[in-house]
Amino acid sequence: MSAVREQSHAVFQATAVTLANRSRERFAVRVLTLITTLLILPLIAIISLLVAKGAPAMSLEFLLAAPVAGMTAGGIFPAIVGTLWLVGVSLAVAAPIGILAAVYLNEYAGDNWVTRIINLAIVNLAGVPSIVHALFGVGAFVLFLGMGTSILSASLTLAIMTLPVIIASTKEALASVPLAFREACWVLGASRWQTIRHVVLPNSISGILTGVILQVSRAAGETAPIMFTGAAFYLPFLPQSVYDQCMALSMHLFTVSTQVPNVPEAIPYATALVLLGLVMSVNLTSILFRSYLRSRRKW
Amino acid sequence: MSGQRNKIEIRDLSLRYGNDQALYNINLDVREHEILAIIGPANAGKTSLLNCINRMIDFVPSARVSGSIRFDGLEVSKLRDPAQLRRRIGMVFPLPVGLPMSIYDNVAFAPRMSGIRSGSALDEIVETCLQQAALFDEVKDRLGDLGTKLSGGQQQRLTIARALSLRPEVLCLDEFSIAVDPVTTMKIEAVIKTLREQMTVIVVTNLVLQAKRLADRTALFLGGKLIEVDDNEIIFSRRTADMRTFQYVQGLFG
Repeated sequence: MSAVREQSHAVFQATAVTLANRSRERFAVRVLTLITTLLILPLIAIISLLVAKGAPAMSLEFLLAAPVAGMTAGGIFPAIVGTLWLVGVSLAVAAPIGILAAVYLNEYAGDNWVTRIINLAIVNLAGVPSIVHALFGVGAFVLFLGMGTSILSASLTLAIMTLPVIIASTKEALASVPLAFREACWVLGASRWQTIRHVVLPNSISGILTGVILQVSRAAGETAPIMFTGAAFYLPFLPQSVYDQCMALSMHLFTVSTQVPNVPEAIPYATALVLLGLVMSVNLTSILFRSYLRSRRKW
Repeated sequence: MSGQRNKIEIRDLSLRYGNDQALYNINLDVREHEILAIIGPANAGKTSLLNCINRMIDFVPSARVSGSIRFDGLEVSKLRDPAQLRRRIGMVFPLPVGLPMSIYDNVAFAPRMSGIRSGSALDEIVETCLQQAALFDEVKDRLGDLGTKLSGGQQQRLTIARALSLRPEVLCLDEFSIAVDPVTTMKIEAVIKTLREQMTVIVVTNLVLQAKRLADRTALFLGGKLIEVDDNEIIFSRRTADMRTFQYVQGLFG
Protein backbone atom coordinates (compact mmCIF):
# COMPACT_ATOMS: atom_id res chain seq x y z
CA MET A 1 0.00 0.00 0.00
CA SER A 2 2.66 2.49 1.01
CA ALA A 3 4.83 1.37 -1.87
CA VAL A 4 2.02 2.22 -4.26
CA ARG A 5 1.59 5.66 -2.69
CA GLU A 6 5.30 6.41 -2.94
CA GLN A 7 5.26 5.39 -6.55
CA SER A 8 2.30 7.61 -7.40
CA HIS A 9 4.02 10.57 -5.75
CA ALA A 10 7.15 9.83 -7.70
CA VAL A 11 5.22 10.40 -10.91
CA PHE A 12 4.80 14.07 -10.00
CA GLN A 13 8.46 14.60 -8.99
CA ALA A 14 10.10 17.26 -11.17
CA THR A 15 12.68 15.82 -13.50
CA ALA A 16 15.31 17.82 -15.35
CA VAL A 17 13.14 17.77 -18.49
CA THR A 18 9.99 19.09 -16.80
CA LEU A 19 11.99 21.82 -15.04
CA ALA A 20 13.49 22.93 -18.35
CA ASN A 21 10.04 22.90 -19.93
CA ARG A 22 8.64 25.00 -17.11
CA SER A 23 11.29 27.68 -17.44
CA ARG A 24 10.85 27.78 -21.23
CA GLU A 25 7.12 28.13 -20.72
CA ARG A 26 7.63 31.09 -18.35
CA PHE A 27 10.04 32.70 -20.81
CA ALA A 28 7.63 32.31 -23.73
CA VAL A 29 4.70 33.76 -21.79
CA ARG A 30 6.79 36.79 -20.72
CA VAL A 31 8.05 37.52 -24.24
CA LEU A 32 4.58 37.22 -25.78
CA THR A 33 3.02 39.41 -23.10
CA LEU A 34 5.73 42.03 -23.55
CA ILE A 35 5.32 42.18 -27.33
CA THR A 36 1.54 42.44 -27.07
CA THR A 37 1.82 45.21 -24.49
CA LEU A 38 4.25 47.13 -26.72
CA LEU A 39 1.57 47.17 -29.43
CA ILE A 40 -0.57 49.50 -27.34
CA LEU A 41 2.23 52.04 -26.91
CA PRO A 42 2.00 53.73 -30.35
CA LEU A 43 -1.75 54.21 -29.90
CA ILE A 44 -1.28 55.72 -26.44
CA ALA A 45 1.54 57.92 -27.77
CA ILE A 46 -0.56 59.20 -30.67
CA ILE A 47 -3.58 59.96 -28.54
CA SER A 48 -1.61 61.71 -25.80
CA LEU A 49 0.29 63.79 -28.37
CA LEU A 50 -2.94 64.83 -30.08
CA VAL A 51 -4.63 65.64 -26.79
CA ALA A 52 -1.64 67.63 -25.48
CA LYS A 53 -1.08 69.65 -28.63
CA GLY A 54 -4.70 69.97 -29.73
CA ALA A 55 -6.21 70.87 -26.38
CA PRO A 56 -5.65 74.65 -26.67
CA ALA A 57 -7.79 74.82 -29.82
CA MET A 58 -10.45 72.36 -28.67
CA SER A 59 -13.75 73.92 -27.68
CA LEU A 60 -17.43 73.64 -28.48
CA GLU A 61 -17.02 76.57 -30.82
CA PHE A 62 -14.22 74.71 -32.66
CA LEU A 63 -16.66 71.87 -33.34
CA LEU A 64 -19.63 74.02 -34.29
CA ALA A 65 -18.16 77.01 -36.18
CA ALA A 66 -16.83 77.43 -39.72
CA PRO A 67 -13.18 78.21 -40.34
CA VAL A 68 -12.41 81.92 -40.68
CA ALA A 69 -9.44 84.13 -41.56
CA GLY A 70 -8.10 81.87 -44.30
CA MET A 71 -8.57 78.79 -42.11
CA THR A 72 -6.13 80.08 -39.49
CA ALA A 73 -8.93 80.49 -36.96
CA GLY A 74 -12.49 79.41 -36.29
CA GLY A 75 -13.79 75.82 -36.28
CA ILE A 76 -14.22 72.74 -38.42
CA PHE A 77 -18.01 72.29 -38.48
CA PRO A 78 -18.30 72.13 -42.32
CA ALA A 79 -15.61 69.44 -42.45
CA ILE A 80 -17.45 67.31 -39.87
CA VAL A 81 -20.71 67.68 -41.80
CA GLY A 82 -18.93 66.92 -45.08
CA THR A 83 -17.35 63.74 -43.70
CA LEU A 84 -20.77 62.57 -42.48
CA TRP A 85 -22.23 63.21 -45.95
CA LEU A 86 -19.45 61.32 -47.71
CA VAL A 87 -19.52 58.36 -45.35
CA GLY A 88 -23.32 58.22 -45.33
CA VAL A 89 -23.78 58.31 -49.11
CA SER A 90 -20.92 55.92 -49.83
CA LEU A 91 -22.30 53.45 -47.31
CA ALA A 92 -25.84 53.77 -48.67
CA VAL A 93 -24.41 52.66 -52.02
CA ALA A 94 -21.78 50.13 -50.95
CA ALA A 95 -23.58 48.30 -48.13
CA PRO A 96 -26.64 47.01 -50.05
CA ILE A 97 -24.65 46.12 -53.17
CA GLY A 98 -21.88 44.49 -51.15
CA ILE A 99 -24.25 42.46 -48.97
CA LEU A 100 -26.35 41.28 -51.89
CA ALA A 101 -23.26 40.35 -53.90
CA ALA A 102 -21.87 38.41 -50.94
CA VAL A 103 -25.18 36.57 -50.48
CA TYR A 104 -25.09 35.58 -54.14
CA LEU A 105 -21.46 34.49 -54.02
CA ASN A 106 -21.78 32.53 -50.78
CA GLU A 107 -25.26 31.04 -51.16
CA TYR A 108 -26.00 30.66 -54.85
CA ALA A 109 -22.85 30.76 -56.98
CA GLY A 110 -21.56 27.38 -58.05
CA ASP A 111 -17.86 26.60 -58.02
CA ASN A 112 -17.11 27.43 -61.66
CA TRP A 113 -14.72 29.69 -63.57
CA VAL A 114 -17.11 32.67 -63.59
CA THR A 115 -17.33 32.64 -59.78
CA ARG A 116 -13.59 32.21 -59.50
CA ILE A 117 -12.96 35.21 -61.75
CA ILE A 118 -15.41 37.32 -59.73
CA ASN A 119 -13.74 36.32 -56.46
CA LEU A 120 -10.33 37.05 -57.92
CA ALA A 121 -11.53 40.46 -59.06
CA ILE A 122 -12.83 41.24 -55.56
CA VAL A 123 -9.56 40.26 -53.91
CA ASN A 124 -7.59 42.39 -56.36
CA LEU A 125 -9.97 45.33 -56.04
CA ALA A 126 -9.36 45.26 -52.29
CA GLY A 127 -5.64 45.58 -52.92
CA VAL A 128 -5.82 48.60 -55.24
CA PRO A 129 -4.15 51.67 -53.65
CA SER A 130 -6.57 54.47 -52.79
CA ILE A 131 -4.88 56.98 -55.08
CA VAL A 132 -5.67 54.67 -58.01
CA HIS A 133 -9.30 54.62 -56.89
CA ALA A 134 -9.12 58.43 -56.87
CA LEU A 135 -7.93 58.57 -60.48
CA PHE A 136 -10.61 56.07 -61.48
CA GLY A 137 -13.20 58.22 -59.71
CA VAL A 138 -12.08 61.31 -61.60
CA GLY A 139 -12.19 59.49 -64.91
CA ALA A 140 -15.42 57.56 -64.39
CA PHE A 141 -17.67 59.73 -62.23
CA VAL A 142 -16.39 63.30 -62.47
CA LEU A 143 -15.63 63.34 -66.20
CA PHE A 144 -17.25 60.42 -68.04
CA LEU A 145 -20.56 60.37 -66.19
CA GLY A 146 -20.49 64.15 -65.85
CA MET A 147 -21.18 64.26 -62.12
CA GLY A 148 -18.49 66.89 -61.64
CA THR A 149 -16.61 67.27 -58.39
CA SER A 150 -19.43 66.54 -55.98
CA ILE A 151 -20.36 64.55 -52.89
CA LEU A 152 -21.87 61.99 -55.28
CA SER A 153 -18.61 61.46 -57.21
CA ALA A 154 -16.54 61.31 -54.04
CA SER A 155 -18.96 58.95 -52.29
CA LEU A 156 -19.15 56.60 -55.27
CA THR A 157 -15.36 56.51 -55.36
CA LEU A 158 -15.30 55.67 -51.65
CA ALA A 159 -18.01 53.07 -52.24
CA ILE A 160 -15.95 51.34 -54.95
CA MET A 161 -13.04 51.33 -52.53
CA THR A 162 -14.97 49.85 -49.57
CA LEU A 163 -17.10 47.43 -51.62
CA PRO A 164 -14.62 44.53 -51.90
CA VAL A 165 -13.95 44.57 -48.15
CA ILE A 166 -17.68 44.65 -47.36
CA ILE A 167 -18.20 41.69 -49.71
CA ALA A 168 -15.34 39.76 -48.11
CA SER A 169 -16.47 40.39 -44.51
CA THR A 170 -20.12 39.61 -45.35
CA LYS A 171 -19.12 36.35 -47.06
CA GLU A 172 -17.18 35.41 -43.96
CA ALA A 173 -20.18 36.18 -41.73
CA LEU A 174 -22.48 34.10 -43.94
CA ALA A 175 -20.03 31.21 -44.01
CA SER A 176 -20.00 31.15 -40.21
CA VAL A 177 -23.61 29.88 -40.24
CA PRO A 178 -23.26 26.07 -40.20
CA LEU A 179 -24.18 24.22 -43.40
CA ALA A 180 -26.26 21.83 -41.28
CA PHE A 181 -28.82 24.63 -40.68
CA ARG A 182 -29.20 25.16 -44.42
CA GLU A 183 -29.59 21.43 -45.06
CA ALA A 184 -32.18 21.16 -42.30
CA CYS A 185 -34.20 23.88 -44.05
CA TRP A 186 -33.81 22.52 -47.57
CA VAL A 187 -34.90 19.08 -46.49
CA LEU A 188 -38.09 20.62 -45.09
CA GLY A 189 -38.93 21.97 -48.54
CA ALA A 190 -37.75 25.53 -47.91
CA SER A 191 -36.32 27.27 -50.96
CA ARG A 192 -32.84 28.71 -50.97
CA TRP A 193 -34.21 32.23 -50.56
CA GLN A 194 -36.50 31.23 -47.67
CA THR A 195 -33.51 29.61 -45.99
CA ILE A 196 -31.40 32.73 -46.47
CA ARG A 197 -34.19 35.05 -45.36
CA HIS A 198 -35.28 33.14 -42.26
CA VAL A 199 -32.17 31.33 -41.04
CA VAL A 200 -28.91 32.48 -42.63
CA LEU A 201 -29.33 36.27 -42.53
CA PRO A 202 -30.85 36.54 -39.01
CA ASN A 203 -27.93 34.51 -37.68
CA SER A 204 -25.16 36.35 -39.49
CA ILE A 205 -26.44 39.91 -39.25
CA SER A 206 -24.09 40.79 -36.38
CA GLY A 207 -21.03 39.83 -38.39
CA ILE A 208 -22.35 41.55 -41.51
CA LEU A 209 -23.07 44.84 -39.72
CA THR A 210 -19.73 44.76 -37.91
CA GLY A 211 -17.93 44.45 -41.23
CA VAL A 212 -19.95 47.30 -42.71
CA ILE A 213 -19.45 49.60 -39.72
CA LEU A 214 -15.69 49.04 -39.78
CA GLN A 215 -15.70 50.34 -43.35
CA VAL A 216 -17.24 53.57 -42.09
CA SER A 217 -14.05 54.38 -40.22
CA ARG A 218 -11.95 53.51 -43.24
CA ALA A 219 -14.05 55.72 -45.52
CA ALA A 220 -13.95 58.57 -43.00
CA GLY A 221 -10.16 58.52 -42.84
CA GLU A 222 -9.34 58.35 -46.56
CA THR A 223 -8.09 61.51 -48.25
CA ALA A 224 -6.84 60.51 -51.68
CA PRO A 225 -10.11 59.19 -53.15
CA ILE A 226 -12.06 62.34 -52.25
CA MET A 227 -9.36 64.91 -52.96
CA PHE A 228 -10.01 65.16 -56.71
CA THR A 229 -13.60 63.96 -56.77
CA GLY A 230 -15.59 66.07 -54.35
CA ALA A 231 -13.77 67.43 -51.32
CA ALA A 232 -13.01 71.15 -51.31
CA PHE A 233 -10.22 73.09 -49.59
CA TYR A 234 -12.62 75.63 -48.24
CA LEU A 235 -16.32 76.25 -48.67
CA PRO A 236 -18.17 79.09 -47.04
CA PHE A 237 -21.46 77.16 -47.00
CA LEU A 238 -22.69 73.67 -46.05
CA PRO A 239 -23.59 71.21 -48.85
CA GLN A 240 -27.30 71.21 -49.71
CA SER A 241 -27.40 68.06 -51.87
CA VAL A 242 -25.18 65.30 -53.20
CA TYR A 243 -24.38 67.47 -56.22
CA ASP A 244 -22.52 70.02 -54.09
CA GLN A 245 -18.92 69.83 -53.06
CA CYS A 246 -18.11 69.57 -49.40
CA MET A 247 -15.27 69.89 -46.95
CA ALA A 248 -14.05 66.77 -45.16
CA LEU A 249 -12.07 66.19 -41.96
CA SER A 250 -9.27 64.20 -43.56
CA MET A 251 -8.95 66.69 -46.41
CA HIS A 252 -9.09 69.64 -43.99
CA LEU A 253 -6.34 68.08 -41.89
CA PHE A 254 -4.16 67.75 -44.99
CA THR A 255 -4.92 71.35 -46.01
CA VAL A 256 -4.25 73.07 -42.70
CA SER A 257 -1.10 71.03 -42.06
CA THR A 258 0.57 71.52 -45.43
CA GLN A 259 -1.18 73.99 -47.71
CA VAL A 260 -2.06 77.03 -45.61
CA PRO A 261 0.63 79.26 -44.03
CA ASN A 262 0.47 80.64 -40.49
CA VAL A 263 -2.04 78.14 -39.05
CA PRO A 264 -1.70 77.95 -35.25
CA GLU A 265 -0.16 74.59 -34.36
CA ALA A 266 -3.12 73.53 -32.24
CA ILE A 267 -5.64 73.56 -35.12
CA PRO A 268 -4.32 70.60 -37.16
CA TYR A 269 -3.81 68.60 -33.95
CA ALA A 270 -7.33 69.32 -32.76
CA THR A 271 -8.68 68.38 -36.22
CA ALA A 272 -6.79 65.10 -36.11
CA LEU A 273 -8.14 64.49 -32.61
CA VAL A 274 -11.72 64.97 -33.82
CA LEU A 275 -11.16 62.65 -36.79
CA LEU A 276 -9.57 60.01 -34.57
CA GLY A 277 -12.35 60.39 -32.01
CA LEU A 278 -14.98 59.94 -34.71
CA VAL A 279 -13.31 56.83 -36.10
CA MET A 280 -12.72 55.32 -32.68
CA SER A 281 -16.26 55.94 -31.48
CA VAL A 282 -17.58 54.25 -34.63
CA ASN A 283 -15.29 51.28 -33.99
CA LEU A 284 -16.31 51.17 -30.35
CA THR A 285 -19.98 51.19 -31.33
CA SER A 286 -19.35 48.29 -33.65
CA ILE A 287 -17.52 46.32 -30.95
CA LEU A 288 -20.27 46.93 -28.38
CA PHE A 289 -22.93 46.08 -30.95
CA ARG A 290 -21.16 42.85 -31.87
CA SER A 291 -20.76 41.73 -28.28
CA TYR A 292 -24.44 42.52 -27.66
CA LEU A 293 -25.52 40.39 -30.62
CA ARG A 294 -23.06 37.63 -29.66
CA SER A 295 -24.62 37.44 -26.23
CA ARG A 296 -27.91 36.67 -27.99
CA ARG A 297 -26.30 34.04 -30.16
CA LYS A 298 -28.65 31.16 -30.63
CA TRP A 299 -26.37 28.14 -30.86
CA MET B 1 -50.19 -5.97 -43.32
CA SER B 2 -48.25 -3.89 -45.81
CA GLY B 3 -50.20 -2.39 -48.67
CA GLN B 4 -49.01 -3.94 -51.90
CA ARG B 5 -48.99 -0.66 -53.81
CA ASN B 6 -45.47 0.63 -54.39
CA LYS B 7 -44.86 4.09 -52.95
CA ILE B 8 -41.38 4.40 -54.40
CA GLU B 9 -39.95 2.45 -57.32
CA ILE B 10 -36.21 2.64 -57.91
CA ARG B 11 -34.88 1.28 -61.21
CA ASP B 12 -31.25 1.01 -62.33
CA LEU B 13 -30.22 3.85 -60.06
CA SER B 14 -26.53 4.69 -60.22
CA LEU B 15 -24.76 7.56 -58.54
CA ARG B 16 -21.26 8.92 -58.95
CA TYR B 17 -19.47 11.61 -56.95
CA GLY B 18 -16.87 12.75 -59.47
CA ASN B 19 -14.94 9.55 -60.18
CA ASP B 20 -16.21 7.63 -57.15
CA GLN B 21 -19.23 5.49 -57.78
CA ALA B 22 -21.50 5.42 -54.72
CA LEU B 23 -24.45 3.38 -56.03
CA TYR B 24 -24.51 0.61 -58.67
CA ASN B 25 -27.74 -0.18 -60.55
CA ILE B 26 -30.08 -0.24 -57.58
CA ASN B 27 -33.52 -1.77 -58.09
CA LEU B 28 -35.73 -1.44 -55.05
CA ASP B 29 -39.44 -0.95 -54.31
CA VAL B 30 -40.77 0.67 -51.17
CA ARG B 31 -44.32 -0.43 -50.45
CA GLU B 32 -46.96 1.90 -49.10
CA HIS B 33 -47.33 1.82 -45.27
CA GLU B 34 -44.42 -0.52 -44.72
CA ILE B 35 -41.37 0.01 -42.57
CA LEU B 36 -38.34 -0.71 -44.70
CA ALA B 37 -34.96 -0.97 -43.00
CA ILE B 38 -31.74 -0.39 -44.90
CA ILE B 39 -28.67 -1.89 -43.26
CA GLY B 40 -25.05 -2.13 -44.25
CA PRO B 41 -21.59 -1.01 -43.16
CA ALA B 42 -20.13 2.47 -43.68
CA ASN B 43 -19.80 3.59 -47.29
CA ALA B 44 -22.52 1.19 -48.42
CA GLY B 45 -24.49 3.99 -50.08
CA LYS B 46 -27.42 4.02 -47.65
CA THR B 47 -27.45 7.77 -47.07
CA SER B 48 -26.73 8.47 -50.74
CA LEU B 49 -29.83 6.49 -51.65
CA LEU B 50 -32.02 8.63 -49.35
CA ASN B 51 -30.49 11.80 -50.79
CA CYS B 52 -31.41 10.62 -54.29
CA ILE B 53 -35.02 9.92 -53.29
CA ASN B 54 -35.71 13.44 -51.99
CA ARG B 55 -33.26 15.10 -54.41
CA MET B 56 -31.08 16.56 -51.66
CA ILE B 57 -28.39 15.20 -54.01
CA ASP B 58 -29.02 18.36 -56.09
CA PHE B 59 -26.99 20.28 -53.50
CA VAL B 60 -23.90 18.13 -54.10
CA PRO B 61 -22.31 19.68 -57.21
CA SER B 62 -20.15 16.67 -58.10
CA ALA B 63 -23.03 14.14 -57.97
CA ARG B 64 -24.25 12.50 -61.18
CA VAL B 65 -27.43 10.42 -60.96
CA SER B 66 -28.68 8.00 -63.61
CA GLY B 67 -31.61 5.62 -63.66
CA SER B 68 -35.14 6.24 -62.43
CA ILE B 69 -36.90 6.88 -59.14
CA ARG B 70 -40.67 7.03 -59.23
CA PHE B 71 -42.57 8.50 -56.28
CA ASP B 72 -46.28 7.67 -56.58
CA GLY B 73 -45.50 6.96 -60.23
CA LEU B 74 -43.92 10.41 -60.78
CA GLU B 75 -40.38 10.53 -62.10
CA VAL B 76 -38.48 12.31 -59.33
CA SER B 77 -35.68 13.67 -61.54
CA LYS B 78 -38.20 15.40 -63.82
CA LEU B 79 -39.92 17.41 -61.07
CA ARG B 80 -39.50 21.12 -61.66
CA ASP B 81 -39.77 22.03 -57.98
CA PRO B 82 -37.90 19.52 -55.79
CA ALA B 83 -39.01 21.49 -52.71
CA GLN B 84 -42.53 20.16 -53.35
CA LEU B 85 -41.18 16.61 -53.26
CA ARG B 86 -39.27 17.29 -50.04
CA ARG B 87 -42.47 18.46 -48.37
CA ARG B 88 -43.93 15.01 -49.04
CA ILE B 89 -40.84 13.17 -47.78
CA GLY B 90 -39.84 13.81 -44.17
CA MET B 91 -36.14 13.33 -43.48
CA VAL B 92 -34.17 12.99 -40.26
CA PHE B 93 -30.37 13.22 -40.36
CA PRO B 94 -28.01 11.20 -38.12
CA LEU B 95 -26.92 14.18 -36.03
CA PRO B 96 -29.72 16.27 -34.51
CA VAL B 97 -29.90 19.82 -35.83
CA GLY B 98 -32.08 22.21 -33.85
CA LEU B 99 -32.56 25.32 -35.94
CA PRO B 100 -31.48 28.50 -34.09
CA MET B 101 -35.04 29.49 -33.21
CA SER B 102 -37.60 28.56 -30.56
CA ILE B 103 -38.93 25.02 -30.17
CA TYR B 104 -42.29 26.22 -31.46
CA ASP B 105 -40.74 27.94 -34.48
CA ASN B 106 -38.64 24.85 -35.26
CA VAL B 107 -41.76 22.77 -35.74
CA ALA B 108 -43.78 25.58 -37.32
CA PHE B 109 -40.98 26.48 -39.77
CA ALA B 110 -41.87 24.14 -42.63
CA PRO B 111 -45.66 24.76 -42.44
CA ARG B 112 -44.99 28.51 -42.44
CA MET B 113 -42.66 28.21 -45.42
CA SER B 114 -45.32 26.25 -47.27
CA GLY B 115 -47.81 29.06 -46.70
CA ILE B 116 -49.77 28.21 -43.53
CA ARG B 117 -50.33 31.48 -41.66
CA SER B 118 -53.17 30.77 -39.25
CA GLY B 119 -52.00 30.77 -35.63
CA SER B 120 -54.44 28.13 -34.44
CA ALA B 121 -53.56 25.78 -37.30
CA LEU B 122 -49.86 26.17 -36.46
CA ASP B 123 -50.55 25.62 -32.73
CA GLU B 124 -52.29 22.39 -33.55
CA ILE B 125 -49.52 21.17 -35.88
CA VAL B 126 -46.83 21.97 -33.31
CA GLU B 127 -48.65 20.14 -30.51
CA THR B 128 -49.52 17.10 -32.62
CA CYS B 129 -46.03 16.71 -34.05
CA LEU B 130 -44.28 17.16 -30.70
CA GLN B 131 -46.63 14.57 -29.24
CA GLN B 132 -45.97 12.17 -32.12
CA ALA B 133 -42.23 12.59 -31.53
CA ALA B 134 -42.69 11.85 -27.78
CA LEU B 135 -41.31 15.25 -26.85
CA PHE B 136 -44.40 17.30 -26.02
CA ASP B 137 -44.60 16.49 -22.29
CA GLU B 138 -40.97 17.50 -21.75
CA VAL B 139 -41.21 20.87 -23.48
CA LYS B 140 -44.85 21.93 -23.33
CA ASP B 141 -44.15 24.64 -20.73
CA ARG B 142 -41.20 26.13 -22.61
CA LEU B 143 -42.08 26.14 -26.29
CA GLY B 144 -40.49 29.57 -26.53
CA ASP B 145 -37.04 28.32 -25.52
CA LEU B 146 -34.32 27.90 -28.11
CA GLY B 147 -34.39 24.55 -29.91
CA THR B 148 -30.59 24.55 -29.96
CA LYS B 149 -30.45 24.52 -26.14
CA LEU B 150 -32.21 21.15 -25.81
CA SER B 151 -30.20 18.02 -25.05
CA GLY B 152 -29.01 15.86 -27.95
CA GLY B 153 -31.76 13.27 -27.57
CA GLN B 154 -34.43 15.97 -27.25
CA GLN B 155 -33.09 17.76 -30.31
CA GLN B 156 -33.31 14.53 -32.28
CA ARG B 157 -36.96 14.17 -31.31
CA LEU B 158 -37.45 17.83 -32.20
CA THR B 159 -35.97 17.03 -35.61
CA ILE B 160 -38.47 14.17 -35.97
CA ALA B 161 -41.34 16.46 -34.96
CA ARG B 162 -40.13 18.92 -37.60
CA ALA B 163 -39.96 16.19 -40.23
CA LEU B 164 -43.58 15.29 -39.40
CA SER B 165 -44.82 18.88 -39.50
CA LEU B 166 -45.95 18.72 -43.14
CA ARG B 167 -47.67 15.35 -42.66
CA PRO B 168 -45.31 13.64 -45.13
CA GLU B 169 -46.26 10.48 -47.01
CA VAL B 170 -42.81 9.00 -46.50
CA LEU B 171 -40.55 9.40 -43.48
CA CYS B 172 -36.85 8.67 -43.91
CA LEU B 173 -34.77 8.25 -40.76
CA ASP B 174 -31.02 8.13 -41.29
CA GLU B 175 -29.38 6.46 -38.30
CA PHE B 176 -31.61 8.46 -36.00
CA SER B 177 -30.39 6.69 -32.85
CA ILE B 178 -26.69 7.50 -33.31
CA ALA B 179 -26.80 10.42 -30.86
CA VAL B 180 -29.65 9.19 -28.68
CA ASP B 181 -29.69 7.16 -25.47
CA PRO B 182 -31.32 3.69 -25.43
CA VAL B 183 -34.44 4.84 -23.55
CA THR B 184 -35.14 7.59 -26.06
CA THR B 185 -34.36 5.20 -28.90
CA MET B 186 -37.06 2.82 -27.67
CA LYS B 187 -39.48 5.76 -27.36
CA ILE B 188 -38.80 6.80 -30.94
CA GLU B 189 -39.08 3.23 -32.19
CA ALA B 190 -42.52 2.99 -30.56
CA VAL B 191 -43.45 6.25 -32.31
CA ILE B 192 -42.30 4.91 -35.68
CA LYS B 193 -44.46 1.81 -35.25
CA THR B 194 -47.55 3.96 -34.72
CA LEU B 195 -46.66 6.25 -37.64
CA ARG B 196 -46.78 3.44 -40.18
CA GLU B 197 -50.60 3.72 -40.10
CA GLN B 198 -50.27 7.15 -41.70
CA MET B 199 -47.11 6.91 -43.75
CA THR B 200 -44.37 4.82 -45.27
CA VAL B 201 -41.18 4.66 -43.25
CA ILE B 202 -37.60 4.04 -44.41
CA VAL B 203 -35.11 3.47 -41.60
CA VAL B 204 -31.39 3.50 -42.35
CA THR B 205 -29.61 1.91 -39.43
CA ASN B 206 -26.28 0.51 -38.36
CA LEU B 207 -27.98 -1.60 -35.73
CA VAL B 208 -29.02 -4.94 -37.16
CA LEU B 209 -31.25 -5.62 -34.16
CA GLN B 210 -33.05 -2.31 -34.69
CA ALA B 211 -33.90 -3.41 -38.24
CA LYS B 212 -35.11 -6.73 -36.88
CA ARG B 213 -37.30 -5.09 -34.19
CA LEU B 214 -38.73 -2.36 -36.34
CA ALA B 215 -39.01 -3.29 -39.98
CA ASP B 216 -41.31 -5.41 -42.15
CA ARG B 217 -38.62 -5.80 -44.75
CA THR B 218 -34.89 -5.20 -44.68
CA ALA B 219 -32.44 -4.37 -47.46
CA LEU B 220 -28.71 -5.00 -47.18
CA PHE B 221 -26.32 -2.69 -49.00
CA LEU B 222 -22.61 -3.40 -49.46
CA GLY B 223 -20.21 -1.08 -51.29
CA GLY B 224 -22.96 0.71 -53.18
CA LYS B 225 -24.75 -2.45 -54.29
CA LEU B 226 -28.07 -3.82 -53.11
CA ILE B 227 -27.26 -7.35 -51.97
CA GLU B 228 -30.66 -8.54 -50.89
CA VAL B 229 -34.06 -7.23 -49.88
CA ASP B 230 -36.75 -9.40 -48.39
CA ASP B 231 -39.21 -9.86 -45.55
CA ASN B 232 -37.61 -9.83 -42.14
CA GLU B 233 -38.47 -13.51 -41.59
CA ILE B 234 -36.19 -14.37 -44.50
CA ILE B 235 -33.41 -11.83 -43.84
CA PHE B 236 -33.07 -12.81 -40.21
CA SER B 237 -33.10 -16.54 -40.85
CA ARG B 238 -30.82 -19.12 -42.43
CA ARG B 239 -32.81 -18.95 -45.67
CA THR B 240 -31.26 -15.76 -47.05
CA ALA B 241 -30.71 -15.75 -50.80
CA ASP B 242 -27.18 -14.42 -50.43
CA MET B 243 -24.65 -15.85 -48.00
CA ARG B 244 -23.32 -12.38 -47.22
CA THR B 245 -26.69 -11.32 -45.80
CA PHE B 246 -26.63 -14.17 -43.32
CA GLN B 247 -23.04 -13.43 -42.40
CA TYR B 248 -23.64 -9.69 -41.99
CA VAL B 249 -26.73 -10.19 -39.85
CA GLN B 250 -24.84 -12.67 -37.70
CA GLY B 251 -22.06 -10.11 -37.26
CA LEU B 252 -19.48 -12.26 -39.06
CA PHE B 253 -18.21 -9.26 -41.06
CA GLY B 254 -19.05 -5.62 -41.65
